[in-house]
Amino acid sequence: MQKILLIIQREYLSRVRKKTFIIGTLLFPVLYLLLVFGAGFIAERSKTHLTVAIADETGLLNDSLIKRYNLLDPSSTFKLVRVAGPDTFNYSREGYDAFIHIAKLDWERVTENPLTMKTRKSYGINTQELIEAKLNSIWDEIKNIKHGIDPGLISILAGNKIQLKTLNETDRQQDSRIANAIGLIAGLLMYLVILVYGSMVMMGIMEEKTNRIAEVIVSSVKPFEMMLGKILGIGLVALTQFILWIVFIFLIYNLSSVFGKSADSSVTQIVGSVQEVFSGINIPLILFCFLFYFIGGFFFYASIYGAIGSAINEDIREAQTLSFPVTMLVVLSILVMTAAVNDPSSPLAVWASIIPFSSPIVMMARIPYGVPGTVPWWQLIASMVALVACFVITTWIAAKIYRTGILMYGKKVTWKEMLRWAFRND
Amino acid sequence: MEILRIENVKKYFTSQKAVDDISLSVHQGSIFGLLGPNGAGKTTLIRMITGIFFPDEGRIFFDGRKFNVREDVKKIGYMPEERGLYKKMKIGEQALYLARLKGLSRSEALNKTKKWFEKFEMQSWWNKKVEDLSKGMSQKLQFVTTVLHEPKLIILDEPFSGLDPVNTNLIKDEIFRLAHEGATVIFSTHRMEQVEEICDHIILVNKGKKILDGNVQEIKKQFKENLFSVGVDRPFSDASDYLPFRIMGQKNGKQVIQILDGKTPNDVLQYLIQRGFEIHSFQELLPSLNDIFIKLVEGTSPSRAFEQLN
Repeated sequence: MQKILLIIQREYLSRVRKKTFIIGTLLFPVLYLLLVFGAGFIAERSKTHLTVAIADETGLLNDSLIKRYNLLDPSSTFKLVRVAGPDTFNYSREGYDAFIHIAKLDWERVTENPLTMKTRKSYGINTQELIEAKLNSIWDEIKNIKHGIDPGLISILAGNKIQLKTLNETDRQQDSRIANAIGLIAGLLMYLVILVYGSMVMMGIMEEKTNRIAEVIVSSVKPFEMMLGKILGIGLVALTQFILWIVFIFLIYNLSSVFGKSADSSVTQIVGSVQEVFSGINIPLILFCFLFYFIGGFFFYASIYGAIGSAINEDIREAQTLSFPVTMLVVLSILVMTAAVNDPSSPLAVWASIIPFSSPIVMMARIPYGVPGTVPWWQLIASMVALVACFVITTWIAAKIYRTGILMYGKKVTWKEMLRWAFRND
Repeated sequence: MEILRIENVKKYFTSQKAVDDISLSVHQGSIFGLLGPNGAGKTTLIRMITGIFFPDEGRIFFDGRKFNVREDVKKIGYMPEERGLYKKMKIGEQALYLARLKGLSRSEALNKTKKWFEKFEMQSWWNKKVEDLSKGMSQKLQFVTTVLHEPKLIILDEPFSGLDPVNTNLIKDEIFRLAHEGATVIFSTHRMEQVEEICDHIILVNKGKKILDGNVQEIKKQFKENLFSVGVDRPFSDASDYLPFRIMGQKNGKQVIQILDGKTPNDVLQYLIQRGFEIHSFQELLPSLNDIFIKLVEGTSPSRAFEQLN
């Protein structure tokens, strides 16, 4: 027992002290925030302000109408121009970015063909859509007037709509969109942990084997202790990273709520919605389940990855070949998860959240929707029991493979061979 | 007193009889040579002694009692042929870690590590990593980690490979000192000249079986071919009559002779004196372990063919 602790300590400290761990832990939230805010920022910036010359031969548009809409929607500036020949009009020399020519037609026939906006440069689809929307707003008003509809009535009609939201009575869930987001994040995190830390176990064991330190260590401790120490040590590294991230989120949340009051209104908006999110879900249950499925899922996959690591030699391609089926299971789980998060009560989601290889990822996508409303107690318990039973079995099998594999050199190993080691009587 | 006794130990793998009924006994404080060609089963035998493998059959006694893996591995230090250390781990920490895995407390491990590092002038290595060391340096480190916990039984598999003469002597002296202080050393190697120099007792293993067991000098006597080297003032060709010996050739300016059966060295000397030869030297030529080794294992294919077991 004391030796396992020693091994755990080494595995843990040697990884946590590494620069890559510290950088990775700090960088991930920063990158994540950059991604979220940066994407919004870039989308905002990519909308270019254009000054558009419009030559209208139908006579439907007039300066006061255009001016009013320029004030209403300042994302672009429209200007009516009179031109002798629309095909030869040099709009860029006149100081315009774009030119739209509306041919002389009866007003009802204007929409028969798409209008063409001529430009000298390429602009994003966002810009085109904004100008199209602005033109349509103007067009709506013209249509209404032509049909004799009072504009005041229009605004009354537009605003008067039914809104629907679901109230799950068993779980008192406020908003399924929040559950969806949390489920997606939890499932993705689980996926990340299993792949990143699972392969870390594999590489660690492979390194010990190729370094030949394995033989020195197994002359002091049992191979099982050695494997368990490694899995637990790396599991703790993953857990540490999570806890640090949760602390970061907490800090960012608190800092932003302090600064939010004086700063940007969008930040306050986010803080507000975060508060709303946390009041709407059962956080202790989600955290408990996350921890449980994290441990179960990690053990399940890490022991398999560990067995693979013990069987391979220095060849990294061998590792890829052998771990491919396992990685496919994880990828399959994430595919099911994306479906489950949108329809958490579908049979696919239910079964995938009970079957152990996919349950850590898929169940975490369903739980935020609520227990016992969306996920009945029996499903949660069945899933947990199955996962525990399975990780005990995989760890046992892995230990047997590990014991043979760690001292076996030079031989290319197949899954069949590994399973023979596992079920050999000795 | 014997520290290790192995009785009829067998270990069969699916494709070969790695160790096939080997018995041996190792006395405390002795330096014991475990010899054999590649693939003879030495490593498998060592792995059973270090508790890595369990024998299929047979018994192992350690320090007078039945071998108890959990307790007894603390009293064994094993340096495998393929050296193994964590490349990215700091050297001081690594030595501490390996010592603590052998059951030493932190402070004990720290004291002993410092003592050994001082002795081998390795203090400046403490915060370096193994990947920064040369092959010979990491060999020294490996030796230190093997003996750090003061094991009663030290098993060294090719301890001198890759070491320069200075470091070879350093480690050799250390092996003698440890044996003198009561530790037992099992020394596995192919380098016969080292065995002759270091070992008291050897066994030779081939194809999983023990084919030779005994004291180095006794074995040499057992395999002697009555060869003598004789330094005389003129060549033997002058003497044409009846000889009590056969002339084998010349070596370093001396005549090499084989005394015929039923004759003694005295007969030879008498004969030479009577014939007026002036004798400068007369020495028995014992076979080297190398010769014995080659003679015994000759005909074994270099890497053991995989036998089919039922």
